[in-house]
Amino acid sequence: MATTAAPTAAAAVTTAIGKRGGKPGGLVAASEARAGLLFVLPYLVFFVFLQLGALGFAFWVSLHHYDLLALDNPFVGLNNYLKLPGNHDFLIALRNTTEYAVVVVVIQTIAALFFAILLDAKIKGRNFFRSAWYTPSIASSAVISMIFLWVYHPTGLLNGALGLIGIHTNEAWLHDTRFALPALMGLNIWTTAPTFMLMFLAGLQDIPKEVYEAAQVDGAGFFKTIFQITLPLLRPVIFLVVALGIIGAFQVFDQVYIMTEGGPLKSTLSVAYLIYQDLFKDTGTVGIACAMAVVLGIVIFALTLLSRRIIDTKIEY
Amino acid sequence: MAISQPEPRLDRPAAVAVRSRRSGRTGDTTDQLGRLESALRYILYAAVTLFLIVPFLLTVLSSFKTSAEVIAYPPTLLPSVWHPENYVRVFQETGNFPRQTFNSFAVTLGIVVINLFFDALVGYAFARLRFPGRDFLFALMLGTMVIPGFVFFVPRYIILQHMPSLGSSGWINTYAALLVLFFVQPSFIFLMTQFFKSIPRDLEEAALIDGLGWFGIFWKIILPVARPALLTVGILAFAGAWNDFLDWVIFMQTPDMFNIQLGLSSFKQVYQNQWDLIMAGSVVAIIPILVVYVAGSRYFTRGIATTGLK
Repeated sequence: MATTAAPTAAAAVTTAIGKRGGKPGGLVAASEARAGLLFVLPYLVFFVFLQLGALGFAFWVSLHHYDLLALDNPFVGLNNYLKLPGNHDFLIALRNTTEYAVVVVVIQTIAALFFAILLDAKIKGRNFFRSAWYTPSIASSAVISMIFLWVYHPTGLLNGALGLIGIHTNEAWLHDTRFALPALMGLNIWTTAPTFMLMFLAGLQDIPKEVYEAAQVDGAGFFKTIFQITLPLLRPVIFLVVALGIIGAFQVFDQVYIMTEGGPLKSTLSVAYLIYQDLFKDTGTVGIACAMAVVLGIVIFALTLLSRRIIDTKIEY
Repeated sequence: MAISQPEPRLDRPAAVAVRSRRSGRTGDTTDQLGRLESALRYILYAAVTLFLIVPFLLTVLSSFKTSAEVIAYPPTLLPSVWHPENYVRVFQETGNFPRQTFNSFAVTLGIVVINLFFDALVGYAFARLRFPGRDFLFALMLGTMVIPGFVFFVPRYIILQHMPSLGSSGWINTYAALLVLFFVQPSFIFLMTQFFKSIPRDLEEAALIDGLGWFGIFWKIILPVARPALLTVGILAFAGAWNDFLDWVIFMQTPDMFNIQLGLSSFKQVYQNQWDLIMAGSVVAIIPILVVYVAGSRYFTRGIATTGLK
């Protein structure tokens, strides 16, 4: 290695690393490349086997009539995909999941932005509010689900609170086909909005204060400032929040598994839960589960791209 | 502009409002309006705070009630009689809950330690070392972060099932399954990479001259200065692993191998009328993550703002 080089030369060596085939630089570059490949090897293994390989394998399984215990899994081509449009449960799940994702992503994004704008203010106790408001996001989905089983219980917190303002009901929210899915939406918005609130807050704090002052000088009011200054400047963060929201909401599973098991009458059946059922509760449907997962992946990907287009065009002036 | 003019800055973001009040001293705002404004603003902040933390506070209070009182109507605020023994009962009367709590700690700590090392190592390579295919691999890694996890479950299950046997079914239902699936995590590698790009090169140059090898540089020079980034990754990895539910549903099979989250969720079936245990169990499951969050909230929030993960 470049042990003999003078200090000044060493600086040149490191900046020139990898670029040159020259004597000291070349040696360092070679050892650097070796070290680089060696250091990155753990991820390479992960990538090859558990990401790329798994992706290819998922597609391969989706082309077979696959059973976790069977030795022989016949090739069925695109059959698993072609049968999806006729799969009643899949259609129900896809509709529920889409409905769920649209409502959740829209409301949680707006709520997160609203909270972040409040936190961006110079106000006493700001750090306290930020920490307190973030609490719903640190709890696990399982804990939140168990707490909300109680919130939505006929004599639970929600009906108790409604009773305080004079609305007496013993509605079993999670056992009512009209309310079960919205109940899950509410839970998810409540628990996820604070996460995105932090991202919006970071984005807001990156906006130079001079921009607001200039708007102030120009006589821009609150709404004008929000819609013409804040939102356009936050565009990259908005896209990130919407994209992560879509990816999360379309894979809703934990709450369905714990709270409703897809019921009542499949009103909360989600695609992810259906995939899980086909993987473990039935036999010979693993190929179908994989086909559904691939379709789900494509839907999520397409919607993420679509949201990018919408967000990019909407705020162009 | 015309919209907010008639009723000035009641609903304006305070950052703007504060500034305008400063200039307002010259005349266009009265002090009374200022006081009303700040009172309304604090009511709004209090309302949001209540909305977001009341369910937790009531859960904690409920965990000291009897099961019947938890779901009493009309509801009570404080327990009529305090039952701290609920926290003993949740470990004594629920079969696997102590074991499940242990499983959570064991796997979470394992994942944290392994990730701190490998994510930093890989992140360092991506940020500072030049090797063929680096930028391509890094771009691929970022690309894979948007692939929904559900696509991976079936193949990963089958792969783990066919690993040389540790349990009855390959690595299924063993700690090894989760450790191998999470031994590196792309979002944390990304976080480390971003951090390493920001530290000055002089450190490595000096070390190169001293003849320290690349691993020596990483281990002795780079890691010590990477403490803030390591803390962020450690906290986020802890949060992710502790709160994980789905992977345990998929890759674990018997109650003695569940984690605390999955164990808690099974209270619904097994102890469904015992709301006291459900409430106490929920509080127990949230305490470790709460402690980590409070102790490291600075790093926590920074990490979330960077990676968008919780």
